[in-house]
Amino acid sequence: MDAAERDLLAETLRKTMTAATGQALDASLTDLGWAELLAEQPDIAVPLTFRLLGETGAHAPLLNDVLLNAAGRPVGGTLPLPYTGGTWVVWERDDSAAGTTLDAELPLHTVPAGPPVPLAAGRVALGWWLVGTGRAMLALARQHAVDRVQFGRPLASFQAVRHRLAETFVALDGAEVTLVAATDELGALLAKAAAGQAALTAARHCQQVLGGVGFTAEHDLHRHVRRAMVLDGLLGSARELTREAGALLRAGGSAPRLVHL
Amino acid sequence: MSVTSPPGNMDVGGFRWGLRAWLDEHDLSPGPDHSLDAQVAQLARVRRALFDADWMRYGWPAEVRGLGGPAVLRAVLGEEVATRELAEPGIYSMIEVLAPTMISYAPPALAAEMVPRLLSGREQWCQGFSEPGSGSDLASLTTRAVPRDGHWVINGQKVWTSLAQFAARCVLLTRTAPGHNGITAFFVDMDTPGITVRPLRTMHGVDEFAEVFFDDVVVPADRMLGQPGDGWRLAMDLLPHERSTCFWHRIAHLYTRLDRLVAETSIPDDAELGAAYLALHTVRCRSHATQRRLAEGERLGAETSVDKVLLATAEQRLFETVRDLLPGVLELTDTPWRSEYLYAKAATIYGGTAEIQRNIIARRLLDLGRE
Ligand SMILES: Cc1cc2nc3c(=O)[nH]c(=O)nc-3n(C[C@H](O)[C@H](O)[C@H](O)COP(=O)(O)OP(=O)(O)OC[C@H]3O[C@@H](n4cnc5c(N)ncnc54)[C@H](O)[C@@H]3O)c2cc1C
Repeated sequence: MDAAERDLLAETLRKTMTAATGQALDASLTDLGWAELLAEQPDIAVPLTFRLLGETGAHAPLLNDVLLNAAGRPVGGTLPLPYTGGTWVVWERDDSAAGTTLDAELPLHTVPAGPPVPLAAGRVALGWWLVGTGRAMLALARQHAVDRVQFGRPLASFQAVRHRLAETFVALDGAEVTLVAATDELGALLAKAAAGQAALTAARHCQQVLGGVGFTAEHDLHRHVRRAMVLDGLLGSARELTREAGALLRAGGSAPRLVHL
Repeated sequence: MSVTSPPGNMDVGGFRWGLRAWLDEHDLSPGPDHSLDAQVAQLARVRRALFDADWMRYGWPAEVRGLGGPAVLRAVLGEEVATRELAEPGIYSMIEVLAPTMISYAPPALAAEMVPRLLSGREQWCQGFSEPGSGSDLASLTTRAVPRDGHWVINGQKVWTSLAQFAARCVLLTRTAPGHNGITAFFVDMDTPGITVRPLRTMHGVDEFAEVFFDDVVVPADRMLGQPGDGWRLAMDLLPHERSTCFWHRIAHLYTRLDRLVAETSIPDDAELGAAYLALHTVRCRSHATQRRLAEGERLGAETSVDKVLLATAEQRLFETVRDLLPGVLELTDTPWRSEYLYAKAATIYGGTAEIQRNIIARRLLDLGRE
C-alpha cells in the first residue's frame, strides 16, 4: 500500500467512524473489508484503525479481532481479556451490554478468568487507540485555548496554559514512537505503558485548560477522559506495566536496548 | 584490508561489527584518574586513536579529511564509545556541534585546515554563545565586534563556556549590528592576545566551564563564519546537530548508568525502576526516529525540542531513581554517582532550558501564536 492509498483508506475510515459507532461501526467496517485488511496487513490496519477510533471518539469491538487474528483464530467473536487488578472482561460485539463501565458507551463486562491471550498485539492496538484519544483531547483543548478570551487575551497567550499543552504534545509524540518501535513482547509492554501514561497526561492537562466547559456533559472531553481511563486498564495499566518492566530489569540484570541504528 | 578495518560499503551493521572488533583488540579504557584534566586528556587519546584507525573519519566529508558515508556512522561510533565508557559523553559529543558548524559556515580552506585537528583529538574547541546578560535570550548578546583595518576587534564577555580552559579555538557569537540580523560568528584562536579565561567552579565538582573575557581581541576577517549577520542562523542550525547525534550518544551513556543501578541496588522498587527505564526507552525510540529522518535527508527543526524535553526528563528521572534506590550512597560516600546525579540537574538548563523548549513547542508545533 503506498502513501496515497493509505491516505485514502484513512479518509474512508474516518468518515465511517464519524457516521457510526459501536455495533453499527463494527458492521460498516466488516463491509469495508476489515477482516481481510487485518489478516493481510496488520502493520497498516492496526495503527491506522485504532488511532482513528481514538481521534474520532468512536468505538468498535475490534480488539477481539486483533487478538483472535494474532492467535490464528477466525475473527468476529469475543474472548476474555485480562483487565487491571486481576479482573477479566469481555468486550461484547453488540451494544446491549453497554452501561456498566466508567465509559458507559463501551460494551464491557466482567467475566471469570480466561485462557492466556496474545498480549503484545493487543497492547499495541490499545496503545494506538490511547494515543488517538489523547490527540482528540489535545485538539479540543488547543482550540479552546485559541478561541477563548480572558483578561482581554486568548488563553493560548498564557504561558501556564501553553506549557500544559506542550507537555501533552511531548507525551503523545513520545508514546507514538514507542508504538512504532514495538516489535516484540517487551516493546509492546513499554508502548502500552507509554501510551496509557500519555493519554492520562493529556486528560489531566486538557481538562484543566478547558476549565468549566470541559466539566459539562455536553462537552466531548469527558467522553475521551473516560475512554482513556477504561482503555488504560485493559491488558495491563500503565502503572502495572511499568512495574512489570522494572521487575524484568531486575530479573535480567540489565536494561534491554530495543531499537538499534 | 584486515578484518578489523572499516568496511568499504559503510553499512551500519558492518561498521559496527568492524568497530567492535577493533575496540576489542585496542584497549582505550580510561585510567583511574577522574579529574577533568584526565578526562580531557583521555578524550584526546580516544579521538586520536579512532582517527588514526579511520573510525573517526567515517560520516564526515572528504573536504575535512573524512571518508564520507552517512552521518549515522558517527552516532554508532559515539554509542560504542559511550557504552564502553571510553570517554565522558558530554565532552565527546561537542564535536557533533562544532564540526558541522565549521563545515557549513567556515571558508572551505579554514574548515579543511581546522576540522581534522578537532576530529583527531589534537585540539579541543569551545562554543562561546552565552553571556552574563544573555542566556535563554541569546539574541540579546552584547559582545561587540568592530571592523578596523581589515580585521575585527572584539570586546565583551562570555560565560559558562564549556572546556574554554582547554580550548585552542572558539566558535564565538558577537554583535556587529542591532537585532537578530546583527549577530556575527567568528572562529577565534584562544591564544590571541586580549583573551582571558577564568575557570568557574561547578556544582558537581567537575569544573567544565569558564568565563571568557575579550579585551580588544583582534581577529582576521577571514575568520568570520558565514557573512556578517549570519550568526543567529548559525546558532539555530547547530541545534539539530546537537539534538540528533549528541543525544544518541547521551542516551547510550544513560543506559550504562541504568545497568549499573540495576546491578547495585538491593531495593525492589520495580515501579520506580520501570519508570526510569520507560522514560529512557521512549527517548531512545524518539532519537532513533530522528536519526532516521536525518538519514532520509530531512531538515530537522523545532520538533527536536520534543527530543530535548524527553531526554532531559529521562536523565533527571534516572538520577532521582539512583538516589532513591541507592539510599544514602551519594550523600555519604564519595562515589561517581554523586557528581553524575548533580550534573543531571543541568540537563534542563544547557542547550536551551526546559521552559524554552516548551515555549518553542507551543509556538511552533502547536501553533498557539504569541505569548
Ligand atoms: C553545564 C553547562 C554547560 C554549558 N555550556 C555552555 C557552553 O559551552 N557555551 C555556551 O555558550 N553556554 C553554555 N551554557 C549556558 C547555557 O546555554 C545557559 O545556561 C542557558 O541557555 C540558560 O541561560 P541562563 O543560565 O542565563 O538562564 P536564564 O535564561 O536566565 O533562565 C533562568 C530561568 O528562567 C527561565 N526563563 C528564561 N526565559 C524564559 C521564558 N521566555 N519563558 C519561560 N521561562 C524562562 C529559564 O527556563 C530558567 O528556568 C552551559 C550551561 C551549563 C549549565
